[in-house]
Parts: sequence; C-alpha cells; structure tokens
Amino acid sequence: MNRALMRVSLACLAMFLLLLVNVNYVQAFESSGLAGKPGNVRVFNQQFQYQRGAIVAGGDTKIAESRLIKGTSSYRRFYPDGPVYAPVTGYDSIYGATGIEAAEGSELSGSAPGLDVHNLISLFTGKPKQGASVYLTISPKAQQAAYQALASKGYVGSVVALDPSTGAILAMASYPTFNPNVYTTLSGVALDRIDKRLRAEKSQPLLNRAINATYPPGSTFKIVTSSTAFSTQKVANTSSTIPAPTNFQLPGSSKVLINDNNEACADGNPPIIEAFYLSCNTAFGKLGIAVGGPALHRYAGRFGMNNPGLRIPLPVSPSVFPLETDPDFVALSAIGQFNDQVTPLQEAMFAAAIANGGKLMTPHLVQQVLAPDLTVTQQAQPTVLATPVTPQVAGNLQQMMTAVVQNPAGTAYDVNKSVAGVEIAGKTGTAQNGVNNTGLNDAVFTCYAPTTNPKIAVGVIVQGGGYGAATAAPIAMQVIRAYLGIR
Amino acid sequence: MPRGRRRTELLMLVFAVAVVLLAYASVGFGLNGKLPPGLLAYGLTFAGLVLAAHLAVRRLAPWADPLLLPLAALLNGLGIVMIYRLQESGRGGNPGNVISTLAPTATAYQVVYSAVGLAVFVALLAVIRQPRVLQRYTYTLGAIALVLLAIPALLPASMSSVNGAKVWIIIGRFSIQPEEFAKLALAVFFAGYLVAKRDVLALAGRRVIGIDLPRARDLGPVLLAWAASLLILIFETDIGTSALFFGMFVVMIYIATQRTSWLLIGILLFVFGSYAAGKLFTHVGERFNIWLHPFAGQNPSHNAYQLVQGLEGMGFGGILGSGLGHGQPYFTPLVQSDFIVTAFGEELGLAGLMALLLVFGLIVQRGLRAAIGVTDPFAKLLAAGLSFVLALQIFVIVGGVTGLIPLTGITTPFLSQGGSSLIASWALIALLMRVSDTARQPTPQPIQDEGMTQVVRTG
Repeated sequence: MNRALMRVSLACLAMFLLLLVNVNYVQAFESSGLAGKPGNVRVFNQQFQYQRGAIVAGGDTKIAESRLIKGTSSYRRFYPDGPVYAPVTGYDSIYGATGIEAAEGSELSGSAPGLDVHNLISLFTGKPKQGASVYLTISPKAQQAAYQALASKGYVGSVVALDPSTGAILAMASYPTFNPNVYTTLSGVALDRIDKRLRAEKSQPLLNRAINATYPPGSTFKIVTSSTAFSTQKVANTSSTIPAPTNFQLPGSSKVLINDNNEACADGNPPIIEAFYLSCNTAFGKLGIAVGGPALHRYAGRFGMNNPGLRIPLPVSPSVFPLETDPDFVALSAIGQFNDQVTPLQEAMFAAAIANGGKLMTPHLVQQVLAPDLTVTQQAQPTVLATPVTPQVAGNLQQMMTAVVQNPAGTAYDVNKSVAGVEIAGKTGTAQNGVNNTGLNDAVFTCYAPTTNPKIAVGVIVQGGGYGAATAAPIAMQVIRAYLGIR
Repeated sequence: MPRGRRRTELLMLVFAVAVVLLAYASVGFGLNGKLPPGLLAYGLTFAGLVLAAHLAVRRLAPWADPLLLPLAALLNGLGIVMIYRLQESGRGGNPGNVISTLAPTATAYQVVYSAVGLAVFVALLAVIRQPRVLQRYTYTLGAIALVLLAIPALLPASMSSVNGAKVWIIIGRFSIQPEEFAKLALAVFFAGYLVAKRDVLALAGRRVIGIDLPRARDLGPVLLAWAASLLILIFETDIGTSALFFGMFVVMIYIATQRTSWLLIGILLFVFGSYAAGKLFTHVGERFNIWLHPFAGQNPSHNAYQLVQGLEGMGFGGILGSGLGHGQPYFTPLVQSDFIVTAFGEELGLAGLMALLLVFGLIVQRGLRAAIGVTDPFAKLLAAGLSFVLALQIFVIVGGVTGLIPLTGITTPFLSQGGSSLIASWALIALLMRVSDTARQPTPQPIQDEGMTQVVRTG
C-alpha cells in the first residue's frame, strides 16, 4: 500500500502548493488591485483612522489639514481658506481626490515608498501612523491677492505667478471656484448630491483654469514671434526696423490684417521695439511670415508649448501652437490668433523665461515633503525645462517688454503708475474669441518684476475681459504689489 | 538506539506556547496599547493544558511523533488569540465594529473547548493503546457515524439549522456539529471495512485502455458512499462536508486496492455529482457563480459579500500584514468561523498565512509519515485516511475563502471558533499519534514479544 500512499502524499503536497500559490497571488500580486475595487470598505475606512498630512503654503500657512472629529477616532479634512486655494489643494473626499490631494496622495496618506522606514519605526515605537506634510511654493500673499483681484470683480479667469529663477509657483488662482470643505462630508449620499450640483453648474467652478483651460494668447505671443526673429537673425536688434503697413492683405486669403482700431503703426516702418510696445498686428503678421511657420512652431515648443507631459505635479493641459505653412495662417498664429491656445500658466512661463535670461525653469508647486518626524523626504531642486533663447535675445525682449510698460506710448503704460518704485516689464494681449470672433475679447497680460533681478513673473487671462491692458494688467499689478510688499 | 524524542516535543511546545503568548500580548498592544487583561489567566491555563498533554504523552505514547502535539497546540493557541482579537474589536473603545455573533465570553469558551479537546486527546491515547483495537468496532462506528450524520437532517430546522447549514444538533444553549465526529468514526469504519474487503475490491474485471476496471458487483460500496454524501448535500445543504467524506472514501479505497480505476471512478462520480447538484440546486449553482465572478455587479451583493470581504481583507494585509489588532477583519461576516484564515491573512500578512499553511502541511506530512511507517494495514489505512481528510479539509476551506475553488462552508481545524471542530481535531491528532507511536516503537526482543502481545484488556 505504500506506493499508493506516496502518491496520495504527493496529492496532499500538490493541494498545499496550490493554496500557497493562490495566497501569494491574492496577497502579493492582486493586493493593489483589490485595494482599488470600488467599495473596498477597508481602504475607504482606513483613510479616516490616521491623520493625513497637512498641505502648507509659504512655510507656515496650513491650507489643508486633518482634524479629529470630536468624540470619535475619525479624522476629517479641513480647508481653512478653501475657495482661495481650491485650484491648488483640490479636495480629498471619500470617493476620490483632486489637485495636490491627489498628486501627492501617497505622501499625504503616508503610503509613499519613501515613508516606509518611518512607518516601520512608528510601528515598533507604537506611534499612530501619520501622513507626511507637503510644503508648497505658494506664497499666501500672492495667492490671496490673485484670488481677491478676480473675485472682487467677478471675473472669469485665472492668475498664475512664478519665481522666474526657480520655476516655483507663487500663486495659482482660478475664478469662479468652489469651497473644498463641501467635499469632506463622510456621507456618500450628500457627497454625490454636492458633486452632481457643482458639475452641472454653468460657471464651471471645478475647472482649474490656471492649468486645465486654454485661451488664445493674443498679442502676448508676439514675445515668441520676436524671439524667433532675433534667434534666426531675421531681425538684428531692437532698433532694426520692420515693415508695418496700416493694412496687410493676407496672402492667399481675402482677409485683411489691421492694427487695433485700424490705426497706422508709427511711420509704417518702425523699429521692432516700437512695433512691440504699440503691439502692431501687421508688423508681427509679416514678421511671422518672414521667419516661417516651422520656426515659430519650434520656438513655441521651447517656450513650453505643445508639451502634453508637463506635471507640476498636477497634470497640465498642453498649450497648443499648430504647425502651419500657409502664409495667411502663419501670419495669424504669429500674433496669437487662429488656433493658438495657451493656459494661464503658459502665459506666466513666457515672461518667466525672458526674465530669467532665456532659461525656462520647470514650474513646480511642491517645495518639500516632511515626514511626521520632520525629516525631509523630498526636496524640490530647480531644473531647467528648456532654454528657448540666448541671454542676448532675452535681453532684447526684456528691453521691449520694459518699453510696453515704461514708454508713454506703450500699451500698458497706464498700470506703471500703480506700482511706485518698481519697474515692470510685460506684454498685453487682447485675444479675439469665439466663432468668427463673435465672443467677447479675452484680456491677457504677461509680465515680470522688478526688471533688474526679477522676483516674480505673472500670467493673467480674463475670459471676455476686453483689453488686456485695461483688465488683465491691473490684476497682475495687485499680485506683484502684494508679493513684493509694495503698498 | 531509538529514542522517543519527548524532549524535542517539550522544547517545541515551549516554543509554541511562547509564540501564542507573544501573539496574545501583541493583540492587546495593537488594539489599545495595553497588555490584554486575560494574558496571565488564559496564558497559564493554555500552557498548563498543553504541558499536561505532554506529560500524558510521555506515559501513554512515548514513541509518538514529537512534532504533532506542538504543531496542533500552536494552531489551537493562535485560534484562541484570533478569536480574542475579533471578540474585542469595537468593544471598550477599540477600533472596529462589534461583531454581534461573537459574545464577550467567546475567548473563555474557546479556552474551555481547548481543555475539553486536550482531555479527549489524552483519554483517547489512554483508552486506545493499539490502533487495531479500533478495528473491532468497525461496523459499530460505521453505524454511529450514520446516525450522527442523519440526526440533523431529521431534526426540525429550529434544532439543527444555523445560518442555512442544517448540520447542528441544538438543545437549548448547547449545540454540537455531529459531522465533525462522524468524520473520525467514518475514517475508522472505512479503514476496517476496506482492510477486510480489499482483496475482493482489487479483483479486476475488464481492462479498458490499460485500466483494470472493477467488477460491476463490487461497485456497491463506492456507490453507497457517493449516495450518502449526496444525501448530506441535499438534506443538510452542506457541500463541503459531503465532498470531504466522499474524497476520503475514494482515496482510502485507492490506497487499499492500489487500483487507479477506483480513483477515476470516484473523480467521475464527483464531477457528475457536483455538475448535477449545480444544475438542480440553486444554492450550489450560485456558489459556482460567486466563485467565477466574485466582483461581478450582477451578483446580488450580499451573496458574494463575505468572499469579497475576505479577499479584500487579505489584499489589505499584503505581504507583511497590518499587525494583530491593526487590521479590519471585523468587516467580513462570520469571520470567526469559516473565514478565520482571511483574518490571519489580513493581520499577519502573506508571510503569516503561509507559515500557518505550512504548519497544517507539516501535521499532514507527519500523519502520512506515520502511515508509511506502520506495518499494520488497518492502522496504515486509518492514518492515511485521517491525514488526507485533514489536508482535504484545509484545501476546501482555505481554497474556498481565497477564491481558488468554489466556497463551501466547513470549519478550519483548530482555528475556527466552536467546540465540536476543536475537540474532533484533537481526537484526530490523538489517533495519528497512536499510529505514529506504534510505527516508531522499536521491535521488542522475540522472547519479550510473547508477553507484549497479551495486552488486550484495555479494549
């Protein structure tokens, strides 16, 4: 009987091996899949048993934190200045998260691989598990100013401010916005109702316009067109003259390009700096044709456009500059019309690249991540995203952008008075919008300050705001004033 | 010079008790950061019980395998620890929901059941001094097994049904699961019956494709066992036990006759039986459906809920587990009985669960080793049948709760809450140790042999 017994023993071995393989599959390979199953009550429940890390702006302002619900052992998320920071923080609800809450979710919840050692030590020392705190580059002063500038006038639009030398995002406001505190309810039914209502709202409060909405850049794109012309030696320096007729019949099209209010542009052959601060469409339409569509496309890319992979760490919708060769389309896209689309963040990046001497730093929101024991687990290192132009070309552009604000004939001269003692450089844009330009013009402004040793670059887009100089530029001034501490 | 290895047993027992006590303390720290109140009382009781069992083994089965007792004690102890952990969840400010089916006295009862189990263990070793003593009661035990199995089917549901399984005898507050004991009685019956009839059963009839088929008239017993297990299935809605009994019978008949044909016939009958049952009985078909699509939306959520909770719990535990007291096993309904393995998986992780499975595997291996070592065919068959049915039971329940095979509700030996299963499991260990003792006993000198064979009075 022993031979049969040996076979039965093998059968027993096989059964145990099957069990061992299967539990390995369930607990090792399928573990994360099971955690992601809808309605996994353990994962769902766990998030309220531990203190999630705080989100901190400006080194000491908590803009999101978990507080113990009185009389329970559960935590609830709280956003002290909810609507102001909503485009940055996003929300953390029982069903999902957005914004930094999502992008830094594993750090905040304490499950990131970098926190494993820390968690292990806590396990042995009996300390409750806790998430890491995420410190942002956001300046509360700049963020508050940006939000107030939009909200006080009820503008639909967005403001983004960058530190040109590091790429640190100082402000990221979007209006209309929402209060993330409404998403922290622990009732699924209530959450569902609130979420449905906000999604259905026409003003799109959940849309983060700063990085997820795109608008035509309008004349601010002349920064890229000029940069391309200097870099490709089509224009030697800022005093080189370029043709600027009153009317410019677009080649191969019935359309006639005109300047704002159908005005003439100086004497019809002004230096490029004058065409720039007057913002002549005919001059830069012709210049665009002269440098060509492919060159414009290449330089637009260097300034950060056409990049679908940008993360700050929130995913940024790509700003688009289409590759065109038809002269009429090239002329239109050279002045930021036609199919050009930019995010407000991209607007800030235009000015930041010029301000930083032609080096575009990677925009980022997270300064550092601190484990609960205050050890740094992650520290932002400024990196160069691209070098769109040489320092010399950047110098030319700095000169021209300074003239826009400082020259009495410049399009943004009016705002110069509002910022005493600080020299500002910028470029206005008034983008035609809608089918056959039936929509209200979008007001666009990109700028940096101070002109020597720049500390802040700001991009502003106000949907249907009209003239960039009238609507967008004053908003940028408020942010700059707040950030630089000018009364 | 052959040795009894009782010192090894003692050493391993001390180790097992230490693991259990540490686990018990760990539950307290995990739940509320304090040593659990019952540490001293439960710990000393448990240590005293297994030590007493060890001393009894020294006298009653000095040659028995030294690992069986420590392995079983480890499992029993960990079972108590887990039941304590589940009982305490949600009570006294501990995290978790209160499991309404687990009374605050569950742990105390489990310790009492362990005491009874170890008493039965010692009593069986004391009463059955030779395996072949049991052979005399082949048909008596067979009849007892049938009666035990039949009672729940005949009793009204109020006295036999808990959570849909009609496998209980309930008298007032007292309830037992007779099938746990019927399993042991049937093993003895099969072993005795097959030893007597194996020559007839091994007689070949026709030969088809290289396989010797048995004669048609010899098919009687296997068909009877098949019908009996189907009856359990139909009247007691207990698929797991029915599969267990049938599997045990088929494997024992295979070992007794060494005819592969019996194995094939058994497997064919099993496949046909389960297919027919799946078609005929909705609750069986539903088990298949849940197994194939546990997360499917079309499954009414409450049917797959238990399985899904168990799986998500195990997934939550991951490789190292959440730690005792840190997980959320209380979300799995009735986790303290059939699904207790998933609670271990959640809190001790893949590492802990694999260790548990290996402990079970070692018990099975030691049992089979005893079967191979013993010369008496009855003892050999008995040990093989018991070892195999233990392995099969682990396979069916652990495979069921981890989604490997369709789920059938049977208990996890030593771990699940409840007295019947625990006492029957200790009885099973006693029988394996008795066979092992016989197998490892040094052959006496021929002259002494005359005297030794006189030991009949114990029967």
